[in-house]
Amino acid sequence: MNNELLRVEELKVWFDIKKGLFSRPLYVKAVDGVNFALNIGESVSLVGESGSGKTTLGKTILRLYRPTSGKIIFDGKDISNSDSKDMKWYRRETGLVQQDPFGALPPHFNIYRILEEPLIIHNIGNRSERRDMIYRALEEVKLTPVEDFAPKYPHMLSGGQMQRVVIARALIMRPKLVVADEPVSMLDASVRVEILELLKSMQDRHKTSLIYITHDLATVRMFTHWIFIMYAGEIVERALTKELLANPLHPYTNALLNAIPDPDPENRNVLKEVPPGEPPDLVNPPIGCRFAPRCSQSKDICFKERPPELEIRDKHWVKCWLYS
Amino acid sequence: MENSDLLKVQNFSLSYRTRKGDVEAVNNISFDLKKGETLAIVGESGCGKSSLARGLIRLFPRNIKKVEGKILLDGKDVLFLDEETFRREIRWREISMVFQGAMNSLNPVLKVVFQVAEPLMVHFGMDKESAFKRAKEVLGLVGISSAFAERYPFELSGGMKQRVVIAMALITNPKLVLLDEPTSALDIITQENIMNLLKMLKKELNLTYIFITHDIALTSELADRMAVMYAGEIVEISPVEDFYKNPSHVYTRLLLDSVPTLRGDKSLKSIPGSPPSLIDPPSGCRFHPRCPLVMDICKVKEPPSYKIKEGHFAKCYLNEGR
Repeated sequence: MNNELLRVEELKVWFDIKKGLFSRPLYVKAVDGVNFALNIGESVSLVGESGSGKTTLGKTILRLYRPTSGKIIFDGKDISNSDSKDMKWYRRETGLVQQDPFGALPPHFNIYRILEEPLIIHNIGNRSERRDMIYRALEEVKLTPVEDFAPKYPHMLSGGQMQRVVIARALIMRPKLVVADEPVSMLDASVRVEILELLKSMQDRHKTSLIYITHDLATVRMFTHWIFIMYAGEIVERALTKELLANPLHPYTNALLNAIPDPDPENRNVLKEVPPGEPPDLVNPPIGCRFAPRCSQSKDICFKERPPELEIRDKHWVKCWLYS
Repeated sequence: MENSDLLKVQNFSLSYRTRKGDVEAVNNISFDLKKGETLAIVGESGCGKSSLARGLIRLFPRNIKKVEGKILLDGKDVLFLDEETFRREIRWREISMVFQGAMNSLNPVLKVVFQVAEPLMVHFGMDKESAFKRAKEVLGLVGISSAFAERYPFELSGGMKQRVVIAMALITNPKLVLLDEPTSALDIITQENIMNLLKMLKKELNLTYIFITHDIALTSELADRMAVMYAGEIVEISPVEDFYKNPSHVYTRLLLDSVPTLRGDKSLKSIPGSPPSLIDPPSGCRFHPRCPLVMDICKVKEPPSYKIKEGHFAKCYLNEGR
């Protein structure tokens, strides 16, 4: 039964902005009580506005941040508090594709060296085996002819090509889990589709699980198995992609879906319904539902108590009092 | 309502001098714009759309090499007006601009109301009191209450700062407002709020916009007409309905295929290759190296502007004899 790869339980990541010895300490509650599970080979899109905590969640899952409380269980092992010695195997099982390819590649290494680095760190293969692996990785991300690309330095590549190198580096260890943090937001529209397709094909081929972090719901439709919607440090709704797009339940999800412009010239003649205001301050988030102050359907209870996460439909969870 | 051309751009070209050679950022562009109309200019980064906008308001970089053509505003050629007159009479009075990422360029040590009122004091010689009063009116118009007018930029959220920047562009009652990626740094819901605001202002003040963006889906929120730029040229210009129904340049079609949508079952396609260098653009049609339907003639001879119908032109040989 067990092909579960990742389980996250009540995960909280709070950053302290003011330590209190005598006064009350202040925290930014970037991630505040997140639960989900992911099977081997499954992919998920983590969607939310900036400041919703999606990058913090992604980085904490990779253990680039230490969780304040809660559990991260990867392949049956609890890694939420392991120290760096025990983490080496975890680094090997996971990969990160950063948002900004221009800053993610060391400028003084050539592409060959950049891809060799993780192999050296993890003591993999001898010189010629490594060479084969690097060439295969470059071929997979379609940087061909590989002999031409391998000796190049990052500044000689276009943004799209750099992002391919970043992807090749993240995947060269054949990790079981890759977190891609806005991998296409810095790229031109015409290149975006290419990079997304590349990520998808790599994921299909190697059964890699993928956590795709984005603010752009329009690109996720044909891309991942699951969609999780984040708002103010919480996952407010999660479901399989088709189910979520067909039956969005949470008012925030509806607002997000509504806000996506469709290329239809009729749009210019009508005003859209958009929730007013901005996401809350995560130092002092609202006591009840965090979306309540902007929600058009809020009731009394929404302002008093945090809504529980309930499975309303098959594999479709939502945190909203409208459904409790 | 009058229906005359507010702006007429004729054979407008710009080039910059760089160490590697001259960059032809804008090449022989012509279009016109009626009062109250919105023209959206779309294209990939580096296609020259921002250069075009900055050219219209005559903010040339230092390494400018060549400026050619005509820009007629209300029938008057303003491109070669002397700089002092242009600054005093045209820039910001007649044509204003919302710059890309401008919300991050607000002065951090001045209250927003002062920054919005500044053009009134500089351009119109208004006294501080009445300028502030008018600035608060305009800030109210863009949805910023007078309590927030007295605050500093760091106290405002991204969406509010963007509203302040829009207020700055409107304070002088300009005829033409250039919007260069006015929402590109904002979240999706905030972006829609700003688009709603721009739509409302357009209606209420009968504003004329030139809206520059790489986000095609977003243009549908505002545009009456669409211009597609590629490698420094407008390759197709059309009423917005025809842009979707009858795209007549191969590049336009491919661009439309690459737009992700939430609804519908369209599969996404990307455009192979990348835009050419503008230092040494390809011969013939500038799109031919990436064009899947390329013909021999495309490689050697620049295509003329074919008239598809009234107000719809495309620079592509496939329209020959259609």
